[in-house]
Amino acid sequence: MRRIVAAGDRALLIVFGDTMSPETLADVLTFEATLRRVKPRGLIGTVPAYASLLCTYDPGITEGASFQRQLQTLPVPPRRRLRRAVHEVPVRYDGPDLERVAQHARLSVADAVSLHAGTEYLVYAIGFAPGFSYCGVLPEILATPRLPSPRTRVEPGSVGIAERQTGIYAVASPGGWNIIGRTDTVLFDPRRRPPARFQPGDRLRFVPA
Amino acid sequence: MIEVVSGGTWTTIQDRGRPGWERYGVSPGGPADWFSAAAANALVGNDPDAAVVECTLIGPTLRFRREATVALMGGETLAIENGIAFPLAAGAELKIGRVRRGLRTYVAVRGGIAVPRVMGSRALCQLGRFGGGFGRPLEVGDQLPVGKATAQPPPPLPLPKGRGLRSGGGRFLKRLPLVGPWEVRVMAGPHTSAFGADDFARFLNTAFPVTPRANRMGMRLRAPGFRVQATEILTTPVTQGAVQVTPSGEAIVLLAEHQTTGGYPVIATVISADWPLLGQARPGDTIHFREVSLAEAQRARSRLDGWFGQ
Repeated sequence: MRRIVAAGDRALLIVFGDTMSPETLADVLTFEATLRRVKPRGLIGTVPAYASLLCTYDPGITEGASFQRQLQTLPVPPRRRLRRAVHEVPVRYDGPDLERVAQHARLSVADAVSLHAGTEYLVYAIGFAPGFSYCGVLPEILATPRLPSPRTRVEPGSVGIAERQTGIYAVASPGGWNIIGRTDTVLFDPRRRPPARFQPGDRLRFVPA
Repeated sequence: MIEVVSGGTWTTIQDRGRPGWERYGVSPGGPADWFSAAAANALVGNDPDAAVVECTLIGPTLRFRREATVALMGGETLAIENGIAFPLAAGAELKIGRVRRGLRTYVAVRGGIAVPRVMGSRALCQLGRFGGGFGRPLEVGDQLPVGKATAQPPPPLPLPKGRGLRSGGGRFLKRLPLVGPWEVRVMAGPHTSAFGADDFARFLNTAFPVTPRANRMGMRLRAPGFRVQATEILTTPVTQGAVQVTPSGEAIVLLAEHQTTGGYPVIATVISADWPLLGQARPGDTIHFREVSLAEAQRARSRLDGWFGQ
């Protein structure tokens, strides 16, 4: 069951659930694909993340109330399957927090690496900063809290862990995730279309390089 | 061409930004005070979305190689009076200096700043390090191309200080408070229901001082004694104007260059008609939030848009 709430006077947030699950993400992406096909008047953009979808609109073209009605009555097809293809991301597991993550999990560094690399992840959102890829679900044993105070600069390509998520920094930014490795894969390029390498719904596997 | 003689505290090129690219993690960007940027453009006959120079706290010094028409809006400086289309001779230097009232001043140049578009916009994307001409705030030695004028500005008037409102700028100036305490209008949501029953009412009854931790991405507000009982939320897309509340009771208001997703619940959202006030609020000012409906918010916005014939 989805809920539509205003997010100010230029956006609506559609909430599909409150858990990180492939099914809920599939609901979000199915709705988004329908919206992008139907293109209601005044729609500016859509932003999927985990269990919700933000729809921005231009109130100069469509009134908020009528835009909301359009979303409520949108004929949404049955849940679409997520993409099957798995992207491989080569990673050098040499991050500054790798040892601490392994200690936290009571594993050897080698076991922590093979557990991280041995799991297939789903991209749940691209957000926070350009191209940052939020992936889940991390095996519970590797779950590690964020750093008590964030680093002022995390290098592009850094692979991190925060709670049950793993993610990749696409551009240099401040960040509080535990950095366990780094990839040379370019995740964001403003000249490319789409500019981000991955999209929500993509599957990833990290390969030790 | 315009040469940057000194860069100022945090001087960036801004136009309407990149709305629609948030799904790739790209912030919409654009002026922190969109009304002042649009008004400055209107004064020199530019499209309201033409690229301008956004100055924060201490502005740049700009040398104009060719004659130009400029207008300043937003925060007040001692450079030239706000609200006037001002003619500059070739070789003239415009020293913006300190912003004395308000926080951000917009410099519009007739024809617009013509740095290249990246992803459809000339605005700086700070986190992505692209756009804005150089992928960073302006620095000494940067050269800014000026575009071709598309429309006639109101006739420029070579005015002495203090007499400058004949070119039509006065009508904009009346719209613009520049000092706090600020009353900022919000709509409830999207996560108001994740908070305790009284939290929203207490939020509306609290005067929040702006902390020094404020930039184009967001501003942190902290009121002693303001605490909330919020349930955790899953990472969610966020918008400009969103007021996130952290577990320690700090309120973070997201501005133009905001991150595109966030993990803190959003107790209320500042309406777009009042985003310009957030762009002018200084550390130490207090902000008081007042709730309005969606219909009121959209009426307030369309009244502001009406100044630019939109």
